[in-house]
Order: sequence, then structure tokens, then C-alpha cells
Amino acid sequence: MSHAVWVAASLLFVLFGIADRELDVSSRLAVRFATGIAIGGTVMWAESLVGIPWTRVALVIPLLLFAGCWSLMRGQRHEAPATSNQQLNFALQIAPILALAIYAAATARETSGDLLYFWGPKAQRFFFAQKIDADFLAFPHYFLMHPDYPPLQPLVYVWSSIAAHRFSYWGATFLTPLYLVTAVLAFRGYAARPIGSAKANTFATLLAALLAFGFAKSQAAGGADPQLVMFAIVALSAITFADATPIAAIALAGAAFTKVEGAAFAIVVVIAYTLVRRDWRRTAILGLPAAILLGSWILFARAHGLVDTYARGRTPLHFENLGLVLAVTAVEARYGAMGLPWIAALAPIAFARNWRRAALPLLVAAASIAYTIFFYLHEPNAAWWIRASAERVLLTPLAALLVATAAASE
Amino acid sequence: MSREAMQRAVALCGALLLCVALIFVLRERRGPYFARPLTVMDHAGVREHETREALLLIPQVEPLLPRGAEVTCFRPRKGQAWNDDGVYLTAVGLLPHQSVLPPWTAGANLRGQQVTQYVIAVGAPLDHPSYAAVAQFPQGWLYKRR
Repeated sequence: MSHAVWVAASLLFVLFGIADRELDVSSRLAVRFATGIAIGGTVMWAESLVGIPWTRVALVIPLLLFAGCWSLMRGQRHEAPATSNQQLNFALQIAPILALAIYAAATARETSGDLLYFWGPKAQRFFFAQKIDADFLAFPHYFLMHPDYPPLQPLVYVWSSIAAHRFSYWGATFLTPLYLVTAVLAFRGYAARPIGSAKANTFATLLAALLAFGFAKSQAAGGADPQLVMFAIVALSAITFADATPIAAIALAGAAFTKVEGAAFAIVVVIAYTLVRRDWRRTAILGLPAAILLGSWILFARAHGLVDTYARGRTPLHFENLGLVLAVTAVEARYGAMGLPWIAALAPIAFARNWRRAALPLLVAAASIAYTIFFYLHEPNAAWWIRASAERVLLTPLAALLVATAAASE
Repeated sequence: MSREAMQRAVALCGALLLCVALIFVLRERRGPYFARPLTVMDHAGVREHETREALLLIPQVEPLLPRGAEVTCFRPRKGQAWNDDGVYLTAVGLLPHQSVLPPWTAGANLRGQQVTQYVIAVGAPLDHPSYAAVAQFPQGWLYKRR
């Protein structure tokens, strides 16, 4: 029962998130959930920094104030598009995929080892400490837990643990199907206007199948990758299919605060946006929250002697391993299915019409692959690392490719 | 067939093939397929995960450990401690009220007060003169410093 309470508590993030009112109800809820996680995590981070212990009251009051202020600022309510048969069709299309994704999580078939090795332990300790416990992170014997990894994933776990009075490993695995649904609904909501509901439903179904397969094959449940992919899809959809820069900015901040690769993703999105849109004001809005949030985390890590992964940029590149890195990454990118995820994501682009709209996510997909290779080149013996991570890490460029394919179909 | 209909058909075919591939992935992660798993790692991979026995054992041991006690956890090899990082890090998450230390703190070269107070030995008994077994479980043993 407490596992169910734990998962249900995470849904409360919907109350504190923001979304475009032009979206339909389900997509709006999905975007509110994703942005609510980023906003809620930021409040937890700020309270930890100023020494306010995390309690239900201490967390809910500032979040409700924020949500109220946002609601007042937005002013008059727009009418959301009416529900239609398209939505029913879509629900029927993704129901079997969602059932498979829930089955995978419920039978422990896609659990990530990282949940047990560091995300879970960090969440447990932060929950009992009622703050981000720098002493725990700095304990030399826990060095293998990657002390400077950004904290949003454990913060989400702590949020639910505060509600349920305990941490739940099962709850953590069940968040993965929830992230999948969130990503798919947000994508569908943004894509529906420019490419039409029918096509948006089709590509959202493809995205659901892609993520369900990818999360299971790469054993991502409970790790940070499903959360990162969710933020990546929300951010890309918001700026590819609409001009929802504030939503994308919050999602990018969430990505940067979830994983080290999330920071690289945020940077490539900002660069691609600058190249494609050439709108400096919006570019600044897009990148600022991620820069502030991640910057504050790196300063905190530096002040407590936690910096490890973020300092690896200074380590030498092993270009002599380029051939090996490319070969092993290519093998892992096949996902043991002859590269089916790439083929499925790219095949519909053969019917493309609007390359202009697809330029942004295509650039992001290409750059995401490039930074993945760049990270691998920093490790002298990279083969084991690639085998352990490539299937998970490549889900981000895969998702970006699918967004591009859908955008090109306009 | 229109261009748009072709595109949608190709996309839906892709989704269908990915679902089939997903079913194969789930199938190869060992049965039983419709029984409630005992741990979150029961079917994570084609072989049993290194942490599965620890996930079963540690919750049984935890009530016997005093708050704040120093403890380590590993799968002994030939009765000795080794760098069993996966199991040790897992114990950190499962024992939030204790201080979990790495396996070398119960190393064969240490004696008496040098070793950690408690050892959770997963899957195999510990062979160390400074420890005595205090409890036995189906998945392992709890040892206390003599």
C-alpha cells in the first residue's frame, strides 16, 4: 500500500507545474507534471541551501504560493480544445504499449542497477537528513556513488518518501512508465496543432513504443535516464512545434539538474535554437534557468569538495580510441534488434515535407550523438563503460530524431 | 494510398515491431512471468543480479542491528572479504540508520578492534577469527565482532 502512496505522491507535482493553456487536458497535465518536478526540485534545493528542513508544510506552502502567483500572472483562461474521437483512438493505440511498460516495471524486468548503487541510497539518506546531505556525499568510502551527480532524481524520490514516510524501491521503478506517459502526452499535445491530431497520435504511439522498448532493453527503470528523456522530449516538443520557450526552459533546467548528460543536452539545444531561430531574447530565456540551477549545484559541489565528474572535462581526450569507441557504440546502438529503434524512428522521414521545422531537433539529435562520443573519448578503457551505458544514453538522440521525423511530416 | 497514409502506416508498423521486440526482451529475462517478484532485481537481466540475495537478506538482518552500528556487507569469496562494491553500496541504501563501511574493513589482515563491528555475509559464510556468527538466514549470516 505504501508503494502506491509513494507513486501517487509524485503525481502531486502536477499541482505546482505550469503548462500552455492551448494544450488539451491530458497534455496539459503531462506538461504540468514535468515542469512541476523541475520547480518542486528547485524549491527543495533552495530550502536545503538555506537550511530549512524538508517537511510537508515547508515544501507545499512555497510551491502553492508559486502556483498561485503563476496562475494570477497568466490572467484569462483560454478554452482548451474539446476532446474528440481522436483522443479515444489514441488511448486505444497506446493502451497495450502502456500495459507492456507497466508489466516490465511490475515484474522487475527493467530495473536499473544504479537505483540500488547510488540513486536509492542518496534518496534514503537525504530523506532522513531532510536536506541534501553534503557530509554523506563527501564520505570518502561512498566515492563510487558519484557525489557530484546532479540531485533532481533523488529529490523526486525524497518528495514521495516524505508523503509515504518511507522510501520505496518499487515506487522508483514505477515512475518509469509514468515518465513514459508524460513524455508521450506532452509530445502529442504540442505536435497536434502543426501536424494535425491524426498524425500526432500516430507519432506519439511510435514514441511510446520506442520508449517502452528502450527503457526495458537498457534496464533504465529507477535510474535517471527516463526522467532525462522525459525532460528532453518536453523541451524539444515545446520549441519545435510551438513557441513555448518558458516551458522548454524549465524542462531544460530539469534535464541539466537530472544528469550530467542533461547539461550537455541543454547546451546543444540552446546552440541549435540560436542557429535556427536567431532570437537572442528567447535564447537567453531558454538557457538561463538551466545555467542558474546547474551553476548553483556545481558551486555547492565545489564548496564541499564533491566535484568529480564535472572536472573530467579537463582530462585528456583519447583520440587513439576513436575507432574502438565508434565501433563499440555502433554495436550497442543496435539494441540487440538490428538497430530497429533507429529504423523505426527514421523510416517515416522518407515522406518528409517540412525540413525547416525538423532542423532544430535534427541538429540536437546529431549533437547529442557527438557529445556522447566525446564523453566516451575521455575514458582510456571505454569499452566497458559504453557497454554499460550506451543503450540508455542513446535514448536521448533517438527521441530527438523521432521529434524531428514528426516535425518533418507537417 | 496517399503520402500521408503511407507515412502513418510506416510509423505504426515501426511501433508494432518495437512492441514485438519488447516482448522478446521481456521474455528473455527469465520466468516466472506472472508471479509477484520478491525483489526489484528479480528479472533484471538474463542471469540473477548480483544484489538479489542481499535485497532479500538485509531487511531480515536490519532489526538485529543497533542504530548507528558500523556494518559491512559482501558475498565472501573463500570465506574472505573482497571489493564487492555492488552489494556494499546496496546495503548503504537498505540500512539508512547504520553506518555502512566497505568490505575491506573486515579484511583478513585485520584483527580485533580493527575490524568493523558487524558483517552481513551474503550467500556464503565468513571465515575470520575476529567474528562470531550471531544469526543465520536462508540467504546468509550476520556476524558480530568477538
